[in-house]
Amino acid sequence: MQRIPLIIATGLLALVGSAHGSSFIGTTDAIGGSLVNTIDATSDATSGNNKVVLEAREDAASFVGSDGHLRSARLEAALLHIRQSNPELEATDMQLAEAILAL
Amino acid sequence: MLLGSPLAQAELQLVLDQRKLTPSQARASQTLLAEATALLPPSLVEQMNLRVPVRWSERLSEPVFGRATPGGALELNRLWLADLSAGRDGRFPQGRQHGTLRQELLATLVHEITHLYDRGRHWNTEQRSLLQQCRSRYRTQGEVGLPSQCRGQTERRFTLSDDPRFLDLAGWPQQIGRRGAREPTNHQTYRSPDNYELHSPGEYLAVNFEYFLLDPQYSCRRPALHAYFTDHFGWAPPQAADCPNEVPYLYAGLDAQRPALGWLDPERIYAVHYLLAEANEQWASRWGHSMLRLVICAPGRTPGPDCLLDLDHHLVLSFRAFVDDLQLSSWDGLIGNYPSRLFMLPLQKVIDEYTRLELRSLSSVPLRLDEQARRQLAQQAAALHWSYDGTYYFISNNCAVETLKLLRSGSALPQLHDLDSLTPNGLLEVLHARGLADLQPLQDRQAALRQGYYFDSHRERYQHMFEVIRSNLQIPTEHIEDWLASPAEQRQSWFASADTRSTAALLVLEEAIRRRQMLLIQQDLKQRFLSADAPPELTEVAQLAQGLMSASSFLSRPGELLSEGYGLPQPQESQRFLELAGARQQALLATADDVEQRLLALINPQQRQQLDATRDNISLLAQQLRRLHEEAGGIQLP
Repeated sequence: MQRIPLIIATGLLALVGSAHGSSFIGTTDAIGGSLVNTIDATSDATSGNNKVVLEAREDAASFVGSDGHLRSARLEAALLHIRQSNPELEATDMQLAEAILAL
Repeated sequence: MLLGSPLAQAELQLVLDQRKLTPSQARASQTLLAEATALLPPSLVEQMNLRVPVRWSERLSEPVFGRATPGGALELNRLWLADLSAGRDGRFPQGRQHGTLRQELLATLVHEITHLYDRGRHWNTEQRSLLQQCRSRYRTQGEVGLPSQCRGQTERRFTLSDDPRFLDLAGWPQQIGRRGAREPTNHQTYRSPDNYELHSPGEYLAVNFEYFLLDPQYSCRRPALHAYFTDHFGWAPPQAADCPNEVPYLYAGLDAQRPALGWLDPERIYAVHYLLAEANEQWASRWGHSMLRLVICAPGRTPGPDCLLDLDHHLVLSFRAFVDDLQLSSWDGLIGNYPSRLFMLPLQKVIDEYTRLELRSLSSVPLRLDEQARRQLAQQAAALHWSYDGTYYFISNNCAVETLKLLRSGSALPQLHDLDSLTPNGLLEVLHARGLADLQPLQDRQAALRQGYYFDSHRERYQHMFEVIRSNLQIPTEHIEDWLASPAEQRQSWFASADTRSTAALLVLEEAIRRRQMLLIQQDLKQRFLSADAPPELTEVAQLAQGLMSASSFLSRPGELLSEGYGLPQPQESQRFLELAGARQQALLATADDVEQRLLALINPQQRQQLDATRDNISLLAQQLRRLHEEAGGIQLP
């Protein structure tokens, strides 16, 4: 099921707090902080690939889009993971980043 | 030498008042006293050098098992004498802390002896000379010129219960900027073995000493205090078994894929970083946010620098007030209407939250802590996670203050002892000045990004991507804001002509647009809900959401859910907790789904259409990337 709108629910939780005084304020941040990011878990349904690699997709896109300038630790971890699990693979970072985007 | 001469008796003796006791009562009482004495640390018995009269008293009310009189005698409640002599539990009530009458009476004796020991100022030579030095420095120079090791030592009256280190562990931390003055209230209220301990540091000491001596699991439940007592007495009672390597923590999120309980193995922490979220314009965030990052190694990896990239396994310790920007009230924050609790969160979630949604960058500064300090810090964090329920004040007890207190009580580093800071940036500065924070890895921004010492706000990325598509695709839009706000269909018309690089840039921007649309929808719903003519459907969802919120309070205060045991949950309790939390989580997820479905129907149709169209755009771009990759004969990952 599509989980995207949870961030919207989060927003509503926040406003419940403001409308009804402080008694429920206590938990908003817990919910806010944790549900907000579920929007990012939805964009890809591909399965069978390693989480470290899949989670680096947006960072791989920034890397490819910036022609290698924007290079984050998350991408670095994914590249390392790919190379360690495929030691025979010979490829540049750019080729691997493009391959991540094609997953 | 004659037995019973004063020399041979230079140690603690419990002397039974035998009047009004039958021979069997006297025998049973003597055995009890001998057993109590045998429980005590040898050094305590030696140091006390005291004859303590013990008598059975008829004047104590039923729930009181015993007390120490002002004259230094111990009284036990005579109510239990017959049962003790007969070796039975008799009327001993269910649910007392120590289980059986005999254990309870032993605990009572230990408790009262601890008070006597505490009042006796049994400092060793080294401590005595420190206290003397500190007092004389204080007299001549006052508080301002006091060396750091003297903070909290100038007016000591007790052997242990006013020792700064003890107060840190027990839950009476230093108030910030008050030169070592302690907070008046203990906020480590959850999973206490006996709430009486919260009454005062003296009672905390006596209660905990009962458990140190009588509960073989004490070292697993309150490891830091166990280590403190062991260090002080150079001795520890026999233990039941080795403690589990891992400590449990509640994963503070609603995630069907993830079990409610996480496990933290302090031995697998390679490093601890001070994690600082940069300030933004929101007034509550204008000082930034202080957190700690535990660099935990992936399973199977030997702790070392490679662990820095095991981002998936790193944990963030974050004290938060339970509010978010939408409803933050400055007044409530100033007068302390928000609870402050310690969350243990996955690093990736924290990074996403700040860099993608709030568009704030994060600096991750290594702290120079040795292996022992790291382990103790993790244990203390777990202890607070299960017990702490504080009050958040934006000025005097904010995230920086809480983080400093955790660092101090956890690591016990002398450099932290007299350190005061009220702001996240200020704390980093003083940590650096004391040689505890290593800013070196952050000097080279590009390297820091790659190695995970710096996480950039996505604001710059979006700008960068926008420049790329503008020049590559000859897009006439001048400002990124205009691109982000343009209709999805219009943006899509540029897709076909994009090469791999531009497609990737477009994808990053579409993801940004999706998040932005979410926030706009959120604002719109909020305004409609608050308006005078709020649709009844919206009010109804709000009520559902309110139920969701109150039902989720355990996510931030796991201690309230689990009543069995005390301190860190032991394996059997963790199992029980998983069942309880799992069931609650399922119920919450079901409600969240319901709220979600109802809200979907309430979104303004035009916003909904754009949200869906953006999602389609993202799919299109993903397909295009695959197609371009295949056409170019790119590498296929297995």
